[in-house]
Amino acid sequence: MVAFDKCETRPAHIDAILNGLDRYNPETTTIFQDYVTQQCEERTFDCYANLALLKLYQFNPHLLQPDTVTNVLVKALTVFPSPAFSLCLALLPPHTQPFPTTSEAKAASQTSDFVESVQKLSHLSTLLESAQYTQFWSTLNSDDLYADLTADVAGFEELIRIRIAVEVGKAFRTVKAESLEQWLDIRGREALEKFVTEVCAWKVDGALVQVPANKENEARSEVKSERVGIEQFGRVIRRGFELPV
Amino acid sequence: MSYDDRANARPNINDESDVEEEALVNDYREQVNYDDSLSDLDRTTSLGGAAAQDLQAQLAAAATPLEYQATLETKFASYDNYCSLFHYILNSDGPVDLEVPSYYWAWDVIDEFIYQFESFCRYRTRVARTGSNEEEAQVLRENPNTWGCYSVLNVLYSLIQRSQINEQLAAIKRGEDPVAFAGEYGSRPLYKMLGYFSIVGLLRVHCLLGDFSLALKTLDDIEMNKKAMFARVMAAHFTTYYYVGFSYMMMRRYADAIRMFSHILVYVSRTKNFQKGGNSYDAIAKKNDQMYALIAICVALHPTRLDDTIHSAVREKYGEQFHRMQQGGPESLPVFEELFRSACPKFISPTPPDFENPAYNVDPVDHHTAIFMDEVKNTVFNPTIRSYLKLYTTMDLKKLAGFLEVESDQLRSWLLVNKQRSRQIRWVEGGLLEGEPVISNDLDYAIEDDLIHVSETKAGRRLVDWYLRNLARVY
Repeated sequence: MVAFDKCETRPAHIDAILNGLDRYNPETTTIFQDYVTQQCEERTFDCYANLALLKLYQFNPHLLQPDTVTNVLVKALTVFPSPAFSLCLALLPPHTQPFPTTSEAKAASQTSDFVESVQKLSHLSTLLESAQYTQFWSTLNSDDLYADLTADVAGFEELIRIRIAVEVGKAFRTVKAESLEQWLDIRGREALEKFVTEVCAWKVDGALVQVPANKENEARSEVKSERVGIEQFGRVIRRGFELPV
Repeated sequence: MSYDDRANARPNINDESDVEEEALVNDYREQVNYDDSLSDLDRTTSLGGAAAQDLQAQLAAAATPLEYQATLETKFASYDNYCSLFHYILNSDGPVDLEVPSYYWAWDVIDEFIYQFESFCRYRTRVARTGSNEEEAQVLRENPNTWGCYSVLNVLYSLIQRSQINEQLAAIKRGEDPVAFAGEYGSRPLYKMLGYFSIVGLLRVHCLLGDFSLALKTLDDIEMNKKAMFARVMAAHFTTYYYVGFSYMMMRRYADAIRMFSHILVYVSRTKNFQKGGNSYDAIAKKNDQMYALIAICVALHPTRLDDTIHSAVREKYGEQFHRMQQGGPESLPVFEELFRSACPKFISPTPPDFENPAYNVDPVDHHTAIFMDEVKNTVFNPTIRSYLKLYTTMDLKKLAGFLEVESDQLRSWLLVNKQRSRQIRWVEGGLLEGEPVISNDLDYAIEDDLIHVSETKAGRRLVDWYLRNLARVY
């Protein structure tokens, strides 16, 4: 497991900034912004570096670029379920109110396009994190604004589809093709068959899709036995030597 | 109590660590006394020249809390006092010789410095939000850089760099002599302590600003164990575990958060008899209760068997709330929110607020609470799911949906969510941000179309403890 502060696809110059005090230097903002663009194009994701950019925005609000922030959030959606999205939200200005409670707060904050975008993306995040995939797609397709927000992120829908498939594969051994069509927003049996066989390496069996056994979906009952190490007996053994025979 | 219960009650009993802890407890007791005698000594010996006395007054002031009702003017003056003091410590010709007022001075000064930063930021946001005091708003507007986040971070990072504390700690980790890496400044106890506690200070500042991963990253060179230097100052020990635990919680690593909170709460419960009467006792008692609240939240989100002492204390302090959170469901949401608000750090906004638009200045605590509550809402049906699945080995999905009075699709979502949340990253070794994914629940399942297969992981009998105890009895 790669530690949270590491990223295999991170270039050396970004790593150097992150590990030094330059991560606070407003002049590095453009470097991080370019890196976000690169992640969007190359389908990579570096949460720790993106948080450093959001922190620069937090300290220097006049530098904040709304498009870059929404791109960071959209990228964070593609790695659900994970704390990435909420960690990003935590560094945004509180007035963005990602989860407005009352309609009043909603109305007040919608004076700004940026705030509206953050709230819309947060809603998408909630749908993904609560596994309401059908609603996720219908929400995404309900408003052109979503298409604008996700436009910069190459393969956004594809990335989300793969994530959903991975999560479904962890819980299911067989699943109705019909349900899967809705969860993945794939219309038509043929297209679904193509996706599940080519991308996921699953099998289609009539109206059901078979997920081969993996570590997560086997659900084996087991009895965990105690681990016994010699050091636990250190005292007893020591006393055995210490005591006169 | 059956055999199994007894054997499981303290599964990780380890004599060595107990001995170590006992030593630390004694050490702490000595320190408390030591501190008293030291301050007596100070009163008699610190009567130097007038200049020395001025400096002494400044040093003492830097480690003393401001009055609760301190005016804005006092807060500005205090900031200036810190600036000149840190400037003197950091930018004189070479390291300065300071006779500090007490053994704990280095911790107290960093602690108080950050506390004043925190309360200044919160005060400033409040003035802007309520718009009640135009005069103060004007002063604050004209001085945007007083208690600025860049100056505060600058002080902490400078102290860390000057003392080369990270290099020293890395050397200790490798088993080498830290003195070789300490340099001119870092070899002096004052600089070393200031540098060390600045790391803990950074942890806290990052956490207050909502940067939880960076907060944990900051402690890379510090080993979280009883031998760590922070363990020598109770308040520092306590603060470190609170913020590390909280940061883990915000990264959804509840198992690690519980481990941190439990560790320090057990330690506090063992030392509490001789903390009474100390100046920091009230502050510690308050944080103590906050950590019990956080541990209750974590256990509700991530069912775990707690240490017996902790478990009964949680039940005693938050029994009703704990029960309701463990039950889950929408009714538990207000309880989660109430406890979270009472126990979270006082989050701050690092930049000056918008004085022209009071409504824009949302309290950062509200902001972080809303983000946390979104995750709680997403997972609030996990306890319901678990309580039903525990009863079956196989179960028809439609039938269960009928029991729960929801659509099958909704139930499928809940099952997916519960499955996802039972996988967590847990620390094994290395930096605090490292860890391995583990299945953290003893209940697991797989779904075959509409049939749920449930499996349970049971803990086997624990024999080692039983064996050792009986061995001890016979010889």
